Amino acid sequence: MLRRRFPKAFIERYSQFIPDFDAFLDAMQRPLRRTFRVNTHKATRDKVLELMSDLKPEPLPWFELGFSMPENGDSPSEREDARYGPHFPNLGKRIEHFVGLIYVQEAASMVPPLLLQPQPGERVLDIAAAPGSKTTEMSAMMQNTGLVISNDPSPTRVRGLIGNVDRAGCLNVAVCRMDGAALGRAVAGTCDRVLVDAPCSSEGTIRKSAQALDRWSVATIARFPSIQKRLIAAGYLALKPGGSMVYSTCTVAPEENESVVTHLLERYPEAEVGTAEIPGLKMRPGLSEWGRESFPEAVGRCRRILPQDNDTEPFFLALIRKPVGNSELRSSDLQ
Amino acid sequence: MNRRIRELSARFGMPTDVLGRLEALEEQETVFVGTPEVMSFDAVRPMRRGIRFARIYPYSLKPTTFGMQVLGGQATRNLVELTDEQAKLLINGGSLNVKADVDNGFVLLKWQGLVVGVGFYKRPVLKSQIPRFRSVE
Repeated sequence: MLRRRFPKAFIERYSQFIPDFDAFLDAMQRPLRRTFRVNTHKATRDKVLELMSDLKPEPLPWFELGFSMPENGDSPSEREDARYGPHFPNLGKRIEHFVGLIYVQEAASMVPPLLLQPQPGERVLDIAAAPGSKTTEMSAMMQNTGLVISNDPSPTRVRGLIGNVDRAGCLNVAVCRMDGAALGRAVAGTCDRVLVDAPCSSEGTIRKSAQALDRWSVATIARFPSIQKRLIAAGYLALKPGGSMVYSTCTVAPEENESVVTHLLERYPEAEVGTAEIPGLKMRPGLSEWGRESFPEAVGRCRRILPQDNDTEPFFLALIRKPVGNSELRSSDLQ
Repeated sequence: MNRRIRELSARFGMPTDVLGRLEALEEQETVFVGTPEVMSFDAVRPMRRGIRFARIYPYSLKPTTFGMQVLGGQATRNLVELTDEQAKLLINGGSLNVKADVDNGFVLLKWQGLVVGVGFYKRPVLKSQIPRFRSVE
């Protein structure tokens, strides 16, 4: 097996709270399965399965439109250093991908929209959307009705977002290129649902990129919480009373996860944290403390997806509701 | 109905109400199609509303591959059915010599019963108009 050298600080930090830590490290060293989602704007599940029968895709146990690819190689021992090499089919070169019948998407990344449950006809904000996997997933869940406001501030990333929205055939998406906090103020109090899939230190991507581990440092983690706190507050501001928000990251660091949710609860004490459950998907509860920081009890209802549990990237999820009857905007919110 | 939509509906034998409850918008020599909520969203100015349906040129109207992938399923004429190999060739930017019962001009390319893109037919050459992002194998 190809052994990755995890930095000492990485092991010291995460062995403190990640259960089954050896299994976690082991899973983080295994290459990620290739997974895809059927795009129901363009084809049915059965049609995609018929067209891709040569690859024998296997359904994800917790999402009927999600599939993983079996390896091409016969020897399991070759898998460790194959990465996305010859042992995994290159889905990006399939006609089905080009035509938009499928969207190549990491399995855990399919979860935030499943938790948010956008409905047809609603107004939904995806505040940090590029490259668009979750925007296109939500657009399909809404059956190409209503409005998905899909935003990313980066000029280069927003081009990729538009390309994916086009390829997926999303007629209900308006793409914006704005600072997320400014957009949250502009649509304050009008959105049925909001997804804040925040930019993060992306520790989850270690499974698909050795460079992600090379770049890892505590200093990198420290760059993200301020923007994450701005975005989660902006997302909450955008919600209608009674609306729901999912905050998610593909990283493990508590500073980018439980601490950010705690920040929201301090700023908006009326915000409610819901219990996040997806039948068939194993998730662990949010932390109650980290370092010197103790988190409110509600933060325990957040969920962590660990790579050893479902053979995915690690992910963090929080389901947040704005109570009905909470319609007053404070002047400080809009500044 | 937007006259550009009417023009394309006539060429491809699509119903006059091809858009259903969708709306069309002309901007920067392009026809966009999207939901009414997308078209009326005015809290900020989006970079893009819905998807590009057609490009407007001085003497022609060019349907887009992505627009036709979504709405071209209702087309009844000027369609060319492709084999797997023909589909890969055209998606990779190639051209074919084919005898097809279609008018010269823009045609819709179908593979496995699905519209995969737009071609330009000038008897007997069928040339791909599909945007090239990456090769398909």
